[in-house]
Amino acid sequence: MSEEKKEYNKPLPEFRPETKPFWEAAKQHKLVIPRSKDTGEFFFYPRALSPGADMSEDIEWVESEGKGKVWTFSIHHMGPSKAYKGEPPYVVALIEMDEGVKIMSNVVDVDPHDVSIGMDVQVVFDDVTDDVTLPKFKPAN
Amino acid sequence: MSENLPGIQETRELLKKKKVVIAGVGETEQGKIPNKSSFHFLSEASKLAIEDAGIGKEDVDGLVTAFSLVEHTFMHCTTFADYFGMNPRFFSSVAVGGATAVWMVAEAAMAIASGQAEVVLCVRGDNTLSGISSSGMLALIREMCHAEFEFPYGLTTPGGYALAAQRYLHDWNNRPEHLAAVAVTMRKHAADKENAMNKDPLSIEDVLESRVIAEPLRKYDCSIISDGGAAFIVTTEDKAKELGITNDLAYLWGMGQGYSHQYLTTLENLDQIYNAVERSGNKAFGTAGIEPKDVDIAFLYDCFTITVLLELEGLGFVPKGEGGAFALEGRMEIGKDLPVNTHGGLLSQAHLGAMHHVVEATLQLRGDAGNRQVEDPEVAVVHGNGGIVSAHSTVVLGNQPIN
Repeated sequence: MSEEKKEYNKPLPEFRPETKPFWEAAKQHKLVIPRSKDTGEFFFYPRALSPGADMSEDIEWVESEGKGKVWTFSIHHMGPSKAYKGEPPYVVALIEMDEGVKIMSNVVDVDPHDVSIGMDVQVVFDDVTDDVTLPKFKPAN
Repeated sequence: MSENLPGIQETRELLKKKKVVIAGVGETEQGKIPNKSSFHFLSEASKLAIEDAGIGKEDVDGLVTAFSLVEHTFMHCTTFADYFGMNPRFFSSVAVGGATAVWMVAEAAMAIASGQAEVVLCVRGDNTLSGISSSGMLALIREMCHAEFEFPYGLTTPGGYALAAQRYLHDWNNRPEHLAAVAVTMRKHAADKENAMNKDPLSIEDVLESRVIAEPLRKYDCSIISDGGAAFIVTTEDKAKELGITNDLAYLWGMGQGYSHQYLTTLENLDQIYNAVERSGNKAFGTAGIEPKDVDIAFLYDCFTITVLLELEGLGFVPKGEGGAFALEGRMEIGKDLPVNTHGGLLSQAHLGAMHHVVEATLQLRGDAGNRQVEDPEVAVVHGNGGIVSAHSTVVLGNQPIN
């Protein structure tokens, strides 16, 4: 979101083979959600096998429109480490996606106290480093 | 209903036949104690429990430990066996977060029922307060949350529980004072516990005006961090007699577990949490052959105020959504409907998982709880939860053999 690349000291995801497609898509500003080809069921977080009874290894990545609702949220007034100095208050939320899965993320571009359960949100992409883009959410419209 | 759960009758028969008991307890000083290591606390607590039982170290043939947040070891139980100087024929490290201490009782009981051991020392100790900085505690969430899909968003440990609390308040139209009331009751109880860290009176207003950590949770909604150790000896009634143990015994009546989710990301709704608590409780109640209304005192995992409400309701002590009102009306206090955490819990006494919950349940059933003694309790329940209300364990203890 910001033009200049600042030093980023916060924790970054370490990609696993089975999660790499998610992060590669995010880098291209696409949100993809894995689905079992056998059952058509979406699941999240990404795993090598479907967590359903099918235990399918046949996984497809479906591009999402990135729409969902805030299922719950917490305005954090303290971060987990010094790297978050100056950052709070920020919103950590569980977003219930239209696909039915939940994604944990931040709700950004909004006064934290204006966030509410049930609020419609839309994915945005935060290029935090050259290699990592974090999908985040902002109020829809 | 509970009697029909798988395994209930088998467990019940074993407990009736073996008469598993807690025969001794030990509790070191709790607080900020910078000059003692994790293994020092483990040893000291073990010694106190062995002495409380009036037996010798050589009488102990089983060992159940947990883990250390400060001194990580690959094989915690045998590392401690070496340090303490013992050679158990049964050893195991239980690691299910806050569900650990409660499940240590069950682990010991299963070892005893299957003949692997007769006298099992269960012990936990850690220099958490002195050994980990407060920022380290906030980051402890990394051990529980998803490192790749949750941690990069700045989630903290209180924040994880705050997510559950926010949804709880929303679903039941409750307010932060419903959470605060839990902290107030715990503080009231801690006042009569000699070995408690925080005894100063606390009001609802004090909680609501304390520093916001992760909305809706404030400082006093969060448990304390402490240094210390605690231990208990699990054996059978017969073996206790043989060893000449003179303590009144706390009899194990029932045990159960319930799992919901590991990561909040995969949590579907609050009911999933309730169901896991209920499964854990029903298995324990079913084994014991009792119902929630038969319980005289409850020890509920209170790492944050929200967990007590979810457990009160999930275990069936109050209808869903009514835990907050129950707390606010002071009905968890000693002398009221259901005394909860008579020692002050993790919110005010000390934080060593549910070790002190098990110790206090035993002391209450023995009638050894001093000024905070509940009048003639016969049945106690102890419930632990690990992760973000994700893994549950419950035991029912009685002051008489299971019937």
